[in-house]
Amino acid sequence: MKKSMLGIIDVTMYPGELGKLSAHRSPAAIPFAGRYRLVDFIISNMVNSGIQSVAIFPPSPSRSLMDHLGSGKEWDLNRKRDGLFFFPSLSKDGQLSRLDEHRDYFERSQQKYVLVSNCTTVANMDFTPALDRFINQECDLLEITHKGKSAEMYIISLPLLMEIIDNRYETGYKSVKDAAEDEKSPYTRCKYEYDGLLKCIKTINDYYQTSMNLLEKEKWSQLFNEFQPIFTKVKDEPPTKYIDGSQVTNSMIANGCNIEGEVNHSIIFRAVYIGKESIIQNSIVMQKSKIGNNCVLEHVILDKDVVVGDGVVLRGTAEEPLVVKKGSVVENAVTSS
Amino acid sequence: MAKQKCVAMLLAGGKGSRLKELTENLAKPAVPYGGKYRIIDFPLSNCANSGIHTVGVLTQYQPLVLNSYIGIGSAWDLDRRNGGVTVLPPYSESSEVKWYSGTASAIYQNLNYIKQYDPEYVLILSGDHIYKMNYDIMLDYHIEKQADVTISVIEVPWVEASRFGIMKTDESFNVTRFDEKPEKPESNLASMGIYIFKWSVLSKYLEMDESNPDSSNDFGKDVIPAMLSDELKLVAYPFEGYWKDVGTVKSLWEANMDLLDDEQDLNLFEHSWRIYSVNPNQPPQIIGNDAVIKHSLVNEGCVIDGEIQNSVMFQGVEVEKEAVVKECVVMPNARIGRGSFIERAIVMSNLEVPENTIIHNKSDDILLITEAFLVEHAQERTKLEEA
Repeated sequence: MKKSMLGIIDVTMYPGELGKLSAHRSPAAIPFAGRYRLVDFIISNMVNSGIQSVAIFPPSPSRSLMDHLGSGKEWDLNRKRDGLFFFPSLSKDGQLSRLDEHRDYFERSQQKYVLVSNCTTVANMDFTPALDRFINQECDLLEITHKGKSAEMYIISLPLLMEIIDNRYETGYKSVKDAAEDEKSPYTRCKYEYDGLLKCIKTINDYYQTSMNLLEKEKWSQLFNEFQPIFTKVKDEPPTKYIDGSQVTNSMIANGCNIEGEVNHSIIFRAVYIGKESIIQNSIVMQKSKIGNNCVLEHVILDKDVVVGDGVVLRGTAEEPLVVKKGSVVENAVTSS
Repeated sequence: MAKQKCVAMLLAGGKGSRLKELTENLAKPAVPYGGKYRIIDFPLSNCANSGIHTVGVLTQYQPLVLNSYIGIGSAWDLDRRNGGVTVLPPYSESSEVKWYSGTASAIYQNLNYIKQYDPEYVLILSGDHIYKMNYDIMLDYHIEKQADVTISVIEVPWVEASRFGIMKTDESFNVTRFDEKPEKPESNLASMGIYIFKWSVLSKYLEMDESNPDSSNDFGKDVIPAMLSDELKLVAYPFEGYWKDVGTVKSLWEANMDLLDDEQDLNLFEHSWRIYSVNPNQPPQIIGNDAVIKHSLVNEGCVIDGEIQNSVMFQGVEVEKEAVVKECVVMPNARIGRGSFIERAIVMSNLEVPENTIIHNKSDDILLITEAFLVEHAQERTKLEEA
């Protein structure tokens, strides 16, 4: 039964709301929680639920995403049979048209069921109970919900998916979601409420709040456990070095960092350098950024490869964190007001 | 098999008995080091970074952990269509199981492995040492010197020289004398256990060594002296940089502490010479509200709520509130219970140190904290309280 589901990840389900963070990359490839990319969560959840064939539908061949996923080896998806597939499509006609472009994949697959998901949901979830309900209640379409709202993840049988794709011009459905939400549809629609930690990242504020919430141990342990690990691309960084003068509290720190300054209530990605007497608070610093000496960062999201010169003060607010674009060199103070 | 210019043979059967319980269930090359590595990561990463992609790993003692750790070599990018990593355990020939009796006999038993690549040179390595070295530069040196054998050497303190294979050379580094662990060393140039041989020379001498019933089948004791007495061209390759043979609990602890010293030469942060290792797939480390971390190395998966000073923490270590860890190496997934105090020690993997365990150590020795140690410690404490 476990091998009976395909995983579809539609990268286009949330375009363009993540501002500077998605300016240079697919939203699926946005760095998250110190060492992951957003898409790691849904792929790991699929793999941990026994799904062995995962198809990613990006709007275009996206370099950051391709580079991150590679052959799918980190998720154990470099298989001879099934595994990880990329189906880029330039079609703007909606999800069903894009799936139709790659219908060979569906026709060739032996699986009976399909899980269709967005790419920016952060959760650690086993889909097996949802599939059990789908089968036991003889559903046509199952919608996974969280706190009563749609998590925008659906289970559908493969033959019905093909039918919806084929009839899309008559029904006017653009996506599986349209079919699931159509109250007049002839299908048996079910819901499955997931009560663990789940957040679909749609805005910068979602991104910031969800990240910061992980600093509460109770939330963190809902996302990370040894039985359902979240897999990601490995970078072989050494352990993080805490140098004399460093002071770190209530933070999440990835490997390969050199920390000489003060870090409080923040998330630091891999290979970040934080200089002497600098103070980082309520901030997110992405991989390979360099912060000089005597800096102050408060409510800031530094994208990767940012260089902050000595003595620079950067301030955002809890409601509106200051986002610094990937690769920027910041020599002067910036305060969002 | 396609021809390879140079094949590496990595001797990884070391027992490391002076590492006590640390090597009870694993071979010395599999001993954890530096917060995330095993010792064998260093020679394997050196091979990968030097462009030597054909590596035979000779295992013997407690090979289970080591074999599964090495796998097909993908962690070091050594899963190759041609060559790559091959684990070479001892095997039986007709009715007789042949254990590797010495370093030379281990290679002798695997001459067929080397033959299939028809190499010009064979690089012999030890899986017991921590260092970064470009073997390709050593190979260029070997070719340029037109040597039959090149032996990598390092200057060691004179007082320690009698622990090593010691070499005397002339001005152009031709080896004139080789003494295995001499009582009165005439030089302080020690062999690092890294040899490059011309393949034709090596195969000839290994055959000769094997047919000599008086030989102990060891490179340092038998093969090298035989080559010297036949006046072959033996050249020393002087190495400068960090090199450590961690034979004891204390030297393993010291080698870990070296990583906290900014002055020493072993830089793990060098991007062009990464030390690769098998990834444990853990989330980033979590540093709690009351945590204090001073001058330490901390790996992913750690949860630190207490205080750590001058320490190296492997993946998945938990230090609970009000616990203090001072000058310690804490191996993977150990937990230090609330209110405990541990100083100058190595804490074994997966060990649960109960709450309020107080272990002071002002001596020069380094404690090895094991399950048995904790039981004894608790008994002594009860006795003291009763008295």
